[in-house]
Amino acid sequence: MSKELVARWFNKISEAEKDLPLLLSDGYAYTPRMTYTEVMNESALGTKLQALIESGRFGTSTLEEQAIAKVRLQQILASKPDKPMFATLSNKVFTARELMQEIESGTELGSQWVTNEIFHMTNIVRVR
Amino acid sequence: MPVLANTFLFVEPDDNYLNFGSVPMHQIVEANKQPGQDITELTGIDANPDKIRQILATKNPMVCSMIGHGSESVYTVQNLAPLLHAENPEELTLMKDRVVLLTSCLTATTLGPALIVAGATVYAGYKKEFWFYTGDSPGSSRAVQSPFIAEFQLIASLLRGKNTGEARADQLKKYDEEIAYWITGEGKNHADASELSRILELNKSISVFLGEASVSPSPQAGVLGAQINPAITFGVASIPIAYMIYKALA
Repeated sequence: MSKELVARWFNKISEAEKDLPLLLSDGYAYTPRMTYTEVMNESALGTKLQALIESGRFGTSTLEEQAIAKVRLQQILASKPDKPMFATLSNKVFTARELMQEIESGTELGSQWVTNEIFHMTNIVRVR
Repeated sequence: MPVLANTFLFVEPDDNYLNFGSVPMHQIVEANKQPGQDITELTGIDANPDKIRQILATKNPMVCSMIGHGSESVYTVQNLAPLLHAENPEELTLMKDRVVLLTSCLTATTLGPALIVAGATVYAGYKKEFWFYTGDSPGSSRAVQSPFIAEFQLIASLLRGKNTGEARADQLKKYDEEIAYWITGEGKNHADASELSRILELNKSISVFLGEASVSPSPQAGVLGAQINPAITFGVASIPIAYMIYKALA
């Protein structure tokens, strides 16, 4: 994959996704924006991150994936207004803060979001 | 008595946030219904167990598509009134031979399989929580409708004459389209695009379809809508007119 293809990948994903941690390398997490900068600068780190995008992978161990997924959800939900935004067809309604509490407490509902977030990260890495 | 093809029941409660789903359900029924179909929509306070039983007994619809709050073994309608219990054979028999689409949480774990055992030809529903977005008022934006646009593609395709397997494939495809809309499409920079893409992914991942893939609840619609070439239809319709003109001239 060339630099241009990484640029196309970066431009295709939403602004909101560009500043969420996504790729793991040597124990550090990188956002798409950091990745784009490193790849464009042709740094050694950029080469590693580019290889991850090429292979459609983003991380290493399951524990790390779960930790990153939680950070991403926290980052998304932290900026939301304190009003009911999420509901289920089991008659439950949540504000972003209440949903974050479910995620941090590891309830079944919260785990559903964490598991999905790992799947979502895969979707983002594989955007072409 | 066998269930009736071309006959549909839609149950659309509107309390306890259910109007977020019943508004798009009504719109999708309106946009996709075909001539000759017998469609009953029970909305608001009419979406109650007594009325539903009455329609099942009198109209005997092949398709029952219902939105409501649910748990593993119970499905409820307006005012959270229970309609179906997994352990109640009499209630399960209400759905015998029908295509049963339950837009609700959790019923795919126990109630859905029980409906199939009791004779329903198809059950579609969700094995965990079905999520939706309440950031705008019901029906007012693509954002609030999006989870239901994907979910109700199944009924849109059935109304247009597809069989249950084809309609299910259309539903999964619509999920992918809606997810892409919020991740890389026109909706990607909406303030809540992140949450919306995740809600759709969550719902798709827990969506369940059980039963027969070859049931055609509205076969005539499929013939009219997809299989007959419009030129042939026009030609056939013109024969009596041509005959009358011939007779008049003669």
